[in-house]
Amino acid sequence: MAEDNQNMLSFLSNDGKTIDVPRDVAERSLLIKNMLDDIGPVTEAIPIPNVSENVLNKVLEWCTHHRSDPPSTGDEDDSRRKTTDIEEWDQKFMQVDQEMLFEIILAANYLDIKPLLDIGCKTVANMIKGKSPEEIRKTFNIQNDFTPEEEDQIRRENEWAEDR
Amino acid sequence: MPKRRIDNELSKSHPPKRLRTTTSGHKTDHLSSLSNEILLHILSFLSIPSLLTCQRLSRRFRALSGDSELWKRQYFSKWVRPRARRLAIARRTSFPQSKFEYSPRVSTWLDHGHLDRDDRITNWKRQYQLRHNWSQGTCRVTEVEIPQPPRPPILVTFCAGFVFMADSHGGLQVWSAESPESRKAGLTFAGPESQSSTPTALTATCGLETNSIEAVVGFDDGRFSVYTMDTKRLFLQLRFSHPRSAHGAITAMASSYPYLLVVSKHKMLSLYKLPLAFDDSSWSEDAQLVASLKADSILSPMSLFVRVARSEIIASIVYSFFHLGCGWSLGIQELHFDKTGQQIRSRLTTTVDTQHGVVPLPKSRYGQPSAQEQESIDHAHPSALNPAILHQDPPSSVSYSHPYLLTSHADNTLTVYLVVSTSDDLFVKGAQRLWGHTSSVSAVQVSDRGKAVSVSSHGGEVRIWELENLISSFGSQKVSQGDKSIKVRPENQRRSQDGGIGSLSGVRRRELSLSPSVDIRSKLAHVRDCVGFDDERLLLVRDKEYGTQLLELYDFT
Repeated sequence: MAEDNQNMLSFLSNDGKTIDVPRDVAERSLLIKNMLDDIGPVTEAIPIPNVSENVLNKVLEWCTHHRSDPPSTGDEDDSRRKTTDIEEWDQKFMQVDQEMLFEIILAANYLDIKPLLDIGCKTVANMIKGKSPEEIRKTFNIQNDFTPEEEDQIRRENEWAEDR
Repeated sequence: MPKRRIDNELSKSHPPKRLRTTTSGHKTDHLSSLSNEILLHILSFLSIPSLLTCQRLSRRFRALSGDSELWKRQYFSKWVRPRARRLAIARRTSFPQSKFEYSPRVSTWLDHGHLDRDDRITNWKRQYQLRHNWSQGTCRVTEVEIPQPPRPPILVTFCAGFVFMADSHGGLQVWSAESPESRKAGLTFAGPESQSSTPTALTATCGLETNSIEAVVGFDDGRFSVYTMDTKRLFLQLRFSHPRSAHGAITAMASSYPYLLVVSKHKMLSLYKLPLAFDDSSWSEDAQLVASLKADSILSPMSLFVRVARSEIIASIVYSFFHLGCGWSLGIQELHFDKTGQQIRSRLTTTVDTQHGVVPLPKSRYGQPSAQEQESIDHAHPSALNPAILHQDPPSSVSYSHPYLLTSHADNTLTVYLVVSTSDDLFVKGAQRLWGHTSSVSAVQVSDRGKAVSVSSHGGEVRIWELENLISSFGSQKVSQGDKSIKVRPENQRRSQDGGIGSLSGVRRRELSLSPSVDIRSKLAHVRDCVGFDDERLLLVRDKEYGTQLLELYDFT
């Protein structure tokens, strides 16, 4: 355990595993950062009830790689939204199966790690881009709950945006 | 990742089977297990086509991808931000570092305040689609034939989604642009005087109440009648008639509630203030004459425009005249009144300088305030040069909506001017020919937001122009001559059987009095004004061969 070191924290995953984390890495999570700011030094392991060990490790891997990134200001919201480009390291990082991908998104959302959430969402967006509805459904196993008539009607409603 | 790849590959190599048969197995729908909030975040990274594709996935995705906030952002980045950037370049002004960020408050968007109303929720997807359709010229056209066309031709105007028509037989009739098949309201011109008189001018303006439109009909004996249309209850009512005057027929009117600008045949210009609507005490009260003056410079074709500034009423008359060096030019007379009707100043400018390509420097002061009828046009321009823009024929129509001034010409072009009116000065900045039409242009109409619609004589072509881009390039000398206009392409119209083509020509009704020396193809029937357009629709009246009149409504929704 890292109680002797102010710069180390430990997390307790929902499957009961303890993971040691350097404080600056842990503070990529705004949830943790705000908590530490509020309650001061913590000696106990911090329970992360929604995240399992392997996901938490994956998230912390990302946090470690990005530990020295400047904190996001939130200003560049729009310019980021314009592009679904993801930098190379992150792309490799996101080469995981769908289950892990969505677990990472959920964890990033819960832990309030906005850049990671964005990368996850962009990855999903990229999986949607350029596909037909049927292909998207197949990719994500989405149940089609439209009647054929409804589907046809929506298709016609949205015809205006098709390239001519 | 490799795992998913393989899955995809596999599924692709299969013939596209029914999804449901393959899903029920081991895979689960992780995506749909996410919260709406996260899904919306994912969707916010998608482009318009992908968003629309997602609407077809399932009911839940349909609702999420149609989320108004998503579309609001899309609307902003497609239609608002590019403009902000252009304007910043054109004006060389300070949107800080030309960075113009999305803000959920529409009032901070450039000139989009009209989309942000407290009393209703904006459907941003619909707004986006509307803009998109205008930019593509996509619309549906509905034609309404007007049986037994009256002589003189029917007067038509368009206001807030309602079409107003006036003629001596049918009186004033109102149609809703949404369902032009059925008339919504109508009143014949009652009273003994009305039997002999013919309507000669028509204008309509939104009233003070949200659901009212004030329509004014001017007659050939100098009378005018004010009607109120209740757009909710679809009820039309005559408020009052202003008695006849000695100034002759009313030739043109313009209104900006509660002001009414009237020009009569004897070149008398009068500004009236209408009594407030639905105020019982003054309900039937007559219009109050604010100011009246003789205006010799009013020659047709012309365009009237009234706008109410903070403490002033500004009445503008744009008229065309023949200038020896420049051919047909435009004069703009601007009259400023205060709210009591006291004339503050009168200013005059012309397009002569700009036609020579001279950008006038802001002058210190132009004339004396309250000097009546200044005729001191700056004719002393050293113009040995040929003007850059020279029109041998008078414009076929003129439309002015501050600050945009447009003329259409028989030589297939339009000319756009930008009028600058400050407290010290009035001048015309920049002029540019607009190419795009392939036959002579018969009518043009411009809105204050810089959208213009023009119609070709031969009736077949309607074009939409976004002038703001053009105008912003005036200062930079680098005027691009590219095709900026969009041809309207009705989805549901068969052009092939349009036998009337070729028999239609572009003469505006008001111009029929023009001198015969001018080369107007007068033997042809005429397409009249493109009557008007609003955010959603465009209205056009056409005279067909053998005296049928056709009302065409182009719906962009």
